[in-house]
Amino acid sequence: MARAWPAIILGALLAYLVLVPLGFLALSSFRPTGLPFEPGLTFANYAAVYGAPGFSRLLGDTLVFAGGSVAIALTLGTILAWLVERTDMPGARLTRALIILPMATPPLLMAIGWAMLLSPRSGAINVWMRDLLGWAPFNAYSMGAMIFVQGLALTSTAFLFLAPAFRNMDPALEEAALASGASTLTLFRRVLIPLLRPAVMAAAIFLLIVGFVVFEIPGTLGMPARIFVLSSQLFYLANEAPGGIPLYGQVGALATLFLALLLGLGFVYRHFTREAARFRTITGKGFRPRRMRLGRWRHAALGLVALYFTLAVVLPVGMLAWMSLMPFQARPSWAALSMVTLENHRDLLDSPRVLEAAANTLLVAGIAATLVAVLSTLISWVTVRLRAPGSAVLDALSFLPIAIPGVMMGVALIYVYLTLDPIIAIYGTVWILIVAYATDYLSFGTRAAGGVMVQMHPELEEAGRTSGASGAMVLRRITLPLLWPAIAGIWIWVLAHAMRELSTALMLQGRDNQVMTTLLWDYWQGGEPTRAAAVGVWLVGALLAALIAWQILERRRA
Amino acid sequence: MLSIENLHKRYDKRADAFAVRAVSLDVREGEFFTLLGPSGCGKTTTLRCVAGLEVPDSGTIRIAGQTVFDARGSLPVAKRDIAMVFQSYAIWPHMSVAENVRFPLDAMGITGAAATRRVERALEMVGLAAFRDRPAPMLSGGQQQRVALARAVVKEAKLLLLDEPLSNLDARLRDQMRVELRDLQRRIGTTAIYVTHDQEEAMALSDRVAVMRDGVVVELAPPRDLYLRPRTVFAARFVGQADVLPCTVAARDGALTWLDTPLGRIASAGAPPDGPLSLLIRPEHIAFDAGALNNLHGTITRVVFGGRIVEYLVAVAGAELRVQGTSATLRAEGEAVTLHLPPERCVMVQGEA
Repeated sequence: MARAWPAIILGALLAYLVLVPLGFLALSSFRPTGLPFEPGLTFANYAAVYGAPGFSRLLGDTLVFAGGSVAIALTLGTILAWLVERTDMPGARLTRALIILPMATPPLLMAIGWAMLLSPRSGAINVWMRDLLGWAPFNAYSMGAMIFVQGLALTSTAFLFLAPAFRNMDPALEEAALASGASTLTLFRRVLIPLLRPAVMAAAIFLLIVGFVVFEIPGTLGMPARIFVLSSQLFYLANEAPGGIPLYGQVGALATLFLALLLGLGFVYRHFTREAARFRTITGKGFRPRRMRLGRWRHAALGLVALYFTLAVVLPVGMLAWMSLMPFQARPSWAALSMVTLENHRDLLDSPRVLEAAANTLLVAGIAATLVAVLSTLISWVTVRLRAPGSAVLDALSFLPIAIPGVMMGVALIYVYLTLDPIIAIYGTVWILIVAYATDYLSFGTRAAGGVMVQMHPELEEAGRTSGASGAMVLRRITLPLLWPAIAGIWIWVLAHAMRELSTALMLQGRDNQVMTTLLWDYWQGGEPTRAAAVGVWLVGALLAALIAWQILERRRA
Repeated sequence: MLSIENLHKRYDKRADAFAVRAVSLDVREGEFFTLLGPSGCGKTTTLRCVAGLEVPDSGTIRIAGQTVFDARGSLPVAKRDIAMVFQSYAIWPHMSVAENVRFPLDAMGITGAAATRRVERALEMVGLAAFRDRPAPMLSGGQQQRVALARAVVKEAKLLLLDEPLSNLDARLRDQMRVELRDLQRRIGTTAIYVTHDQEEAMALSDRVAVMRDGVVVELAPPRDLYLRPRTVFAARFVGQADVLPCTVAARDGALTWLDTPLGRIASAGAPPDGPLSLLIRPEHIAFDAGALNNLHGTITRVVFGGRIVEYLVAVAGAELRVQGTSATLRAEGEAVTLHLPPERCVMVQGEA
């Protein structure tokens, strides 16, 4: 079976990238020292983690945090998507274009921006409120603030999931219901909601996975107040445990529970995306969606959209930009305006440490993006086109990383490459980050590439073969050029996400692989908020450039 | 030119469902040969096995004397002396018209002036010379069809394979392309294997037609024989409208066979085949007057005016017959008529009515 070879090679590679780290993680949880290949077998780690008095609180806080932020994101995202796609709200097209702004704002920066606005003593808003009311009502370091900021951070993702579902709904389906004598209420209840349900459920579960996995906001806003969720607890055990020794065994024990939970969610998500694909009402004929007339509410709708952008982008990023121009953490005021200086930015450009971090960031993101683009194309080619035996295994393996939190991936790779160090010496280098990101973003890449491959009629390639072209020539002259826009889209998406990722980079941080986000974290944690702000401004600029390129590519494909 | 022996193909190796079962065909040089049948009958699978896009389970395929598939192995698609036109046209959207047509020449290593000349000639042949630099997505369906055709003929392969190439065109264009296709095939003298589910297309184009059903060739004949003297009920019904009645042989009388039918005793010209018999008569062969034999009296129960032709349902003793007339003479519902079934058009076919 020559057909099986590509599947076997890719399967082995995926198993190495995905299963080996998870296996090491599981193994370490049964070792007294927490190192996977030291002798001994114990359940003490499980007892320590699950028997700890704070465990139920950890579980509860994680659920509240993930559930609360997803509820906010889903509500806001649905309203925005509906306003933009199905109403006559003014500025709908502009809103759709501007949605990349919150995407270009890394959650870490959103958290730092909001910390500068809402910190109990020095936060700008709190200070103003105290001047005005004699009372500072907000606290950035609280569960409420964590949920609020995370909800804002996830809203653009929710919007991107739901907008196509609203847009692609054939108005003929609604007209058919109205022509059947349905009232508006019946229309909503019997037609629109059931049609949207799979897309909304898929979005909800995807967001829930992200909510369980994210570290940036709980790490920035929760840890100072000793509010822990899963990801920050993993980080804490691995980095800042009392006694200074990483409790890897406990990390492994904690990770196994959440991995099971997340994998369950992952497969529920896959079920709903398949159902959503089945419901997609693309008929090929052009249609114009029915838009609801908002009347007097048009301006209220616009106000809501403006409020969202203010909270998600303008306030936090504006605050960062302001701070990056200040010699010390001074809140915005006319008096402070005279202190404006470019010193922080000039310092950055002079600092070898910053330049190295910037170079590392581009190197890591660029290579990881290339690896994901190539691997995703090959994997979907094998699973969709070749339909080689074992395709289902490949598909599942490439999807699995979606459920692995960045912190967990970091810890697992520490085990793997400390153990393999004599053979593959990449521990502490940029290469370990590249491996981590290539694995992490494979689930996005394979899904995107597979989707395009499914839409590409097989006869296009068969016509190449009956024209007398070899397999390699068909791939080079037909398949790759046709897939090119999709591959480029995947490349930029991974580039942007690898550039803004913090938790994995933090776990795998060594002397030679500092990136922009870890540098930012160090400045922020080390009490240099103005420098952190300056790094953040440059990062937002770079992400914005990448995301604009992505949007242009996506639009050209449509 | 093409010879297929005992071809078998199953998609699911565990199930006993054959896509193609024991198909054997011999196609002569220069012939326009059609595989005709309903969807799922195995016609496209057979064609794809010839192209090499599917690997058969067993059998032998030879193209121009060269064995391309047998028990020992399968020749890769690229090495087979074939060209193919696909149902979806499969025009590469990232190339211009000329680039699409030139691709097979690139694949064969033909470049430079020789290639340009062949591309020009192929485009002229399909009437698209003026469109050579047009990006492929900016073509109408009919033009895309022509590009696909030019891309196939430019290869000058011994065997041209066509998989329902006209089925995505609208009716008027389909009629026009049908004529062009036949002319083109005659002009370049290539052997063509054509797959379709449209019996009119098969009739108009082919030298011979193989009717397939459930992976098996049911009947193989030139179009005229297939239509006028089919051997089976399935083929008779598939290639045109048919009144089919159960019958048994009552007597033989020289060249005539007398049949007992629900209509009474009917004379049929010819000798009966073996097995269970049915009587086939096509609606347009029934005449509204009396002849020497096979005259029936009946009443018109329904009239469907179709413009060029008018369809009647006539109740006669024991059955209802569909009869076709022209709009030259119009008859009304309830009218009493005499029908004549010419014995040479009363055909005995195998199978239950």
